[in-house]
Amino acid sequence: MSVKRYSSMEYDNFEDLLFGHSKYPVKTGLGLEIGAGYTTAEINYAPRPDAAKNKATLVNEYERITRDIMERMVQVGFPSVVLETEHVQQMTNNPTWGGEVATAQKAIMEKYHDEYGIKCALRHTVGDIRGDRESIDLRGDAYSRILESFEQVASSGADMLSIESLGGKEVFDHAILRNDMRGVVFSVGILGALDVEYIWQDICSIAKKNNVVAAGDTACAQANTAMFVAGGLLDFKLSHSVASVVRAISASRSLAAYEAGAIGPGKDCGYENNIIKAITGYPISQEGKGSTCAHSDLMGNMAMQCCDLWSNESVEYRGDFGGTTVQCWGENLSYDCSMMNTALEAGVGKTLRDVLMVSDRYRDPQAFILSYDNAYRIGEVITAHPDDLYLRAKEAGMKACELIESGSAGFLELSKFEKATIKKAQNDLKSLDENMESFIDNCLDIYSSEVDTFNPSNYGL
Amino acid sequence: MIDINPKNILIRYNILVESDMTPEEVAEQLYPTDPHILQVAKAVFEGDEDEVVAALQNTIDSGVDPLSLINDALMAGMEVVSTLYDYGLLYLPDVIISAQAMIEGIEYCKEQSKQTHESKGKIISYVVEGDIHDIGKKIVTVLLRANGYEVIDLGKDVPVEEVVAAVKKEKPIMLSGTALMTTTMHAFKDVNSRLLASDINVPVVCGGGAVTQDFVSDYDLGVYCEEAADVPKIADSILQGLDIRKLRDTFHKH
Repeated sequence: MSVKRYSSMEYDNFEDLLFGHSKYPVKTGLGLEIGAGYTTAEINYAPRPDAAKNKATLVNEYERITRDIMERMVQVGFPSVVLETEHVQQMTNNPTWGGEVATAQKAIMEKYHDEYGIKCALRHTVGDIRGDRESIDLRGDAYSRILESFEQVASSGADMLSIESLGGKEVFDHAILRNDMRGVVFSVGILGALDVEYIWQDICSIAKKNNVVAAGDTACAQANTAMFVAGGLLDFKLSHSVASVVRAISASRSLAAYEAGAIGPGKDCGYENNIIKAITGYPISQEGKGSTCAHSDLMGNMAMQCCDLWSNESVEYRGDFGGTTVQCWGENLSYDCSMMNTALEAGVGKTLRDVLMVSDRYRDPQAFILSYDNAYRIGEVITAHPDDLYLRAKEAGMKACELIESGSAGFLELSKFEKATIKKAQNDLKSLDENMESFIDNCLDIYSSEVDTFNPSNYGL
Repeated sequence: MIDINPKNILIRYNILVESDMTPEEVAEQLYPTDPHILQVAKAVFEGDEDEVVAALQNTIDSGVDPLSLINDALMAGMEVVSTLYDYGLLYLPDVIISAQAMIEGIEYCKEQSKQTHESKGKIISYVVEGDIHDIGKKIVTVLLRANGYEVIDLGKDVPVEEVVAAVKKEKPIMLSGTALMTTTMHAFKDVNSRLLASDINVPVVCGGGAVTQDFVSDYDLGVYCEEAADVPKIADSILQGLDIRKLRDTFHKH
């Protein structure tokens, strides 16, 4: 499949960005239309560790999970739901396992859909198994197994296909621990985007062949790594401003999936999806306060501002006081969606969007740059350089620096340290090479010697 | 678009507690006084590998034993960095960069000396079987080496058998294991069982991702660690004679 770069924004104005509405809604699954005027909970779960012993125990576990979720949804009267199955590695390594899990889950969902009319869809996120102990082999046998896994789930009941791709991670881990912006731009903006573009052309072909949705990727392995290492307000591990710059750059990486043919909804943990939605007009999944089962969050409300699916990231399946964990967290998410859908029905969606956004806008630099108006502005600089992966990544980072600096003249309070790190990041980005060719040449020299697992041929370089 | 002054909605506590002094000003108060050693310690603080080696060379040329500089100068500089990290005045990349410079310095001192240098103790570091997420292990490994420990780094996705064999061979004072996923962290329990079956009672310090204190408390050798920066402190406590129960009393925070 061919790659089509975005050279303009699909949304004309950031004011038009709103939860539950996307310019290009996605019809999928059993009666569901994502981004067509309502939001839907996307419930994500991990099987109990012992359940992955063999195929039978794993299928049985996912049947329990699926039945529990569907039962709770109808018991409390929610009109729609999405289930996301993120593969444990056994499922991707043994593609038929993933296929059988998808078949079993879909059979239960169909039963509930037939009986109650609940709109529902199943996303399968295949595991990126391309790394092992010694090396990362992005285009070898493991990649073939990934594609086989996609084929199996796409032909067995999964409605939407996703992956959290690893490309660029080996250099990124090295760079982020050294505040090395050159390495960040190279790993996320070049290596990551090349990998995303490569795999999504294949995923889109499989989706097309099986008449399912090529949904989208996330820069989880990069931007979320930075965000989680940065941690809370009193964690002094990594500058939150630097993590924000990584996030802005990561939008250029995640966009590559849509340029290769994906149509959304992008993965929940891609906080850069606000930027992606503004550029592409496709629906997005997001996580925030409903994902505190998995991690703390500095933009728990704000993440709802433009979501079409509202997710809990992941929760281990087990009993809790209010039912099983998937039931408790699913109900929580669905009540949030009910609130958003009520606001839409009542014509006050944009007011609620703004309340959600502004409640977190000044909590953290990352929340500030991802507020829908600023997310839009980052999208604009990315689309201004459609054919230059380097420039669009670098400019996205620069824009984040500029936004944070200007925000600090207003209500966005920055510590002295954050002010210093944003200034340094800005200078580091400014001092990078003029053009992509020399940038890549220099980076190949530097990181081939500094990062032992970095193999340029993984990226066709 | 709605916009409001957030002062009644949220508090940026990091700004509230921020020190008036810069890291450099605080460091000046903590550096050793000997002028030669001060140069080495400052170079470690700055994370400048070339400057570390140059300062060491100057000091060695003045007649100081190279091996003594490991503890007296390099570790002293790193101690300043660690203290400022604990104060919240330095961030992890600063510590990593300083640690790399210090490790370079240690290698240089060893090269310059005819004698062998004894580390504070040997520690095995690894990521559990089935898991390739190793940024946490990389951080822990650098911090341990910067604190004077010899680290046997087994890498990522390490089979239980291999961990147990390495413990039998190397006889470490502790293991440091990380896991990101709930689906892989159960390998800690297998390591625990295999070590106990061989009458080995070495602490298995576990952390990362989905690992919880409750989970780690469930097996005899487990010590939960939430912060990478605590791992060298746990190792120091082991050298001071704390057993697993006391380590849990000290480092289990929940």
